[in-house]
Amino acid sequence: MTAYLSRRFAGMAVVMLMVAAIVFVIARVVPGDPAAVMLGSNATPADVAALRAQLGLDRPLPVQFVLYLRDILSFDLGNSIFLNRPVIDALLDRAELTSWLTGMSVMIAVLIGVPVGVLAAVRRGTLLDQAVTAVSMLAASLPSFWVGLTLIEYFAVRLGWFPVAGYGDPGAALGARLHHLVLPAVALGLPNSALIIRFTRTSMLDVLHEDYVRTAKAKGLGPGAVIVKHAFRNALIPVLTVIGLTIATLIGGAIVTETVFGLPGVGNLIVSAVLRRDYPVIQGALLIISGLYVLINLAVDLLYAVVDPRVRY
Amino acid sequence: MLSFKSGFTALAVGGALLLGQVLGQAPAQAQTKSAIDIATIGEPGPLDPVTVTSDLVSIITQHVFETLYAFDGKWEAAPLLASALPQISDGGKFYTIPLREGVKFHDGSTMTADDVVTSLNRWLKASPRGKLAAPAVDAVAAKDAKTVTIKLKQPFAPLLALLAMNNGAAAIMPKALAETTDTLKTYVGTGPYKIVEQKPDQYIRMARFDGYQSPPGAASGYAGARKAEIEELRFVPVPNATTRVDGMLAGQYQFADSLPTELAPKLKGAAGVEPIMVKPFGWALVIFNQKTGPMANPLVRQAAQAALTPEDMLLAAFGDPAFFEVEGSIYPKGTPFYDEASVKGYNQHDAKKAAALLKQAGYKGEPIKILTSPQYDFLYKMSLVAQQNLQEAGFTVDLQVLDWATLLSKRSDPGAWDAFFTYHTFVPEPTLITIMNPAYPGWWDTPEKKAALDAFNTDTDPAKRVSDWKAIQGLFYSQVPAVKIGEFYNLAARSKKLTGYTPVPWPFFWNVKVGG
Repeated sequence: MTAYLSRRFAGMAVVMLMVAAIVFVIARVVPGDPAAVMLGSNATPADVAALRAQLGLDRPLPVQFVLYLRDILSFDLGNSIFLNRPVIDALLDRAELTSWLTGMSVMIAVLIGVPVGVLAAVRRGTLLDQAVTAVSMLAASLPSFWVGLTLIEYFAVRLGWFPVAGYGDPGAALGARLHHLVLPAVALGLPNSALIIRFTRTSMLDVLHEDYVRTAKAKGLGPGAVIVKHAFRNALIPVLTVIGLTIATLIGGAIVTETVFGLPGVGNLIVSAVLRRDYPVIQGALLIISGLYVLINLAVDLLYAVVDPRVRY
Repeated sequence: MLSFKSGFTALAVGGALLLGQVLGQAPAQAQTKSAIDIATIGEPGPLDPVTVTSDLVSIITQHVFETLYAFDGKWEAAPLLASALPQISDGGKFYTIPLREGVKFHDGSTMTADDVVTSLNRWLKASPRGKLAAPAVDAVAAKDAKTVTIKLKQPFAPLLALLAMNNGAAAIMPKALAETTDTLKTYVGTGPYKIVEQKPDQYIRMARFDGYQSPPGAASGYAGARKAEIEELRFVPVPNATTRVDGMLAGQYQFADSLPTELAPKLKGAAGVEPIMVKPFGWALVIFNQKTGPMANPLVRQAAQAALTPEDMLLAAFGDPAFFEVEGSIYPKGTPFYDEASVKGYNQHDAKKAAALLKQAGYKGEPIKILTSPQYDFLYKMSLVAQQNLQEAGFTVDLQVLDWATLLSKRSDPGAWDAFFTYHTFVPEPTLITIMNPAYPGWWDTPEKKAALDAFNTDTDPAKRVSDWKAIQGLFYSQVPAVKIGEFYNLAARSKKLTGYTPVPWPFFWNVKVGG
């Protein structure tokens, strides 16, 4: 186990370094200039050049890259050009919202996806199964911005049950702030629940045909016990993988939803940073997200061993 | 600085931290406090009113920082932190500015002439607007504790207007703060509101400044009495325009800026919401590269001017004529610099004339690189019509659709473009129009323009300045550094509970009440 973990962590370090290099190159290859964006369209090229020099953007790219690597190796993500503050502070400010949003979305996706998927597999070929398959196909293909705008129109503007946008008034209680996240979480969770439904259904169907399930039934176990104890536990591994991937995708994929709902989360920060060409923020945010992605993958792999004792590392 | 490692750990243990937050959460703000939420187009970034010229920064910072003068309802300069208009002597080269007494800064200190002198020197050095005035300024000095003098090398008529602008503003701040050469990080002004908290991409919270000393006189435009009726202002960045509209309809915001014109009917039909049309607001233009490429030839530029159809472009961009005006005068009707006579060649749509001019210019079909951006939907739609117009006249058009940041960066390189689409917010003083600056991309720097602009800047007689401006506008239409496409208006909205609001290009919220 220790050897396995050491290998995985060494691999992660290499991946992170590669990500750092790729993100740096991509950010700089795209044309655009943070100084020009910051000063506005009235600025002359001389004004822009002066600010570039002040920000150190006039240095040769290799020099900037070496300085960037040095900062990363000393665990420093640098300062946001536009926000005039450390990148890590900007990210931490937004991590709370994105964590809640991701958590709530995953909860919605799992609470809908797993039971409905199991039900569809158990009732395979019935009208219910066909309806679940059709609806989940539809839900998976709905763009989250459209779902978001529709939810706003009905549940926020017409019915007034939820706020349209934002994350609550300054100093608002957590409950009030989470109230702001209900609609975005649904907008994000619904399409992902469809994915989990389909995976759970397929995985359960595979397992339901196994010999040990037939044996359990032959032993006279009730259908509930067969499904929950024997089939579901074994069907869980691929479902766990897709849930892990969903979490990782949601962390980065909340971008559109956060923009539609005006939420100050990590996704929104990344979009704004790209539009402003705020290189340190783009680099820092992508590094952190890549790190989380790699960690979630590791956690999912380790969870396999918990769910299935036959798996050994 | 927090390290990457500590940040990473914090993210990993986010759940525990959040649980802590649940337990330790402060109660909601007292509901008795009067507060409004103002939905803006996005996060403004550093709130330095001097160095940053974005409209959003001006809208927000004008509540915090004040200038010596401000524009009244007729767009004329009126005293704000000064107690009277300047006494101008020595043939327009010496300004004596009396200051109001007892004006307090947000840190409790009293404004002195020293603060003003240091602030003006920072503005001359660091503000794009100040840099326009700097070559004409010899020295700024404190005559006594309540009088400031500005000595000029030569008369410079736009000075008063520049001192009154809230964009790239000559903002007055305490001497210690004004000595900062970098972008401001702390915000101490004399305005009716002070900044309490800035959470990037979430809100900027301002509280009424109890020590505020209002200027005397009836409120007019940005000038006259200022009273902070509302206790707390919250500027909330909402980049998605549809969300701003929905937030107004749901009553979440009390004011929303820059709304899509196609959603105007939705706002008009809503109870409790009042749509606002801001006139004048801005004008769209296509700027030509006069340094290199085919557009460096004036005949080619004249051909483009003849080929374009501003009327169709405006219709494509805004749909409803209520939101625009086909207007060739750079200054709209009702302003002192409005002039119809010198607008020759506007809105021609004459492909034959354009083709003849191209032939005369010896144009061989070289591609015309036109930069446009879908981030400003109206500019993008205009550029599509322009592409059609120009192709009909015989131009080969290479329309490059870029994001705004790329366009801003690309336009600095004379070799990378021939024309670009942009817009200009209304400015009361012609010298502030970007293309008047020879260093601005497009590089309009002919001897005729320089002579006309010099005359305009040194004439102090207002009537003479008006006729000087007509000459400059005449040159704009004969030398064609750009084509004005037309006037457009800004759609905003306010809650009907918000009273006393004055529609202006940079909205402000003093003298505004919220009730019922």
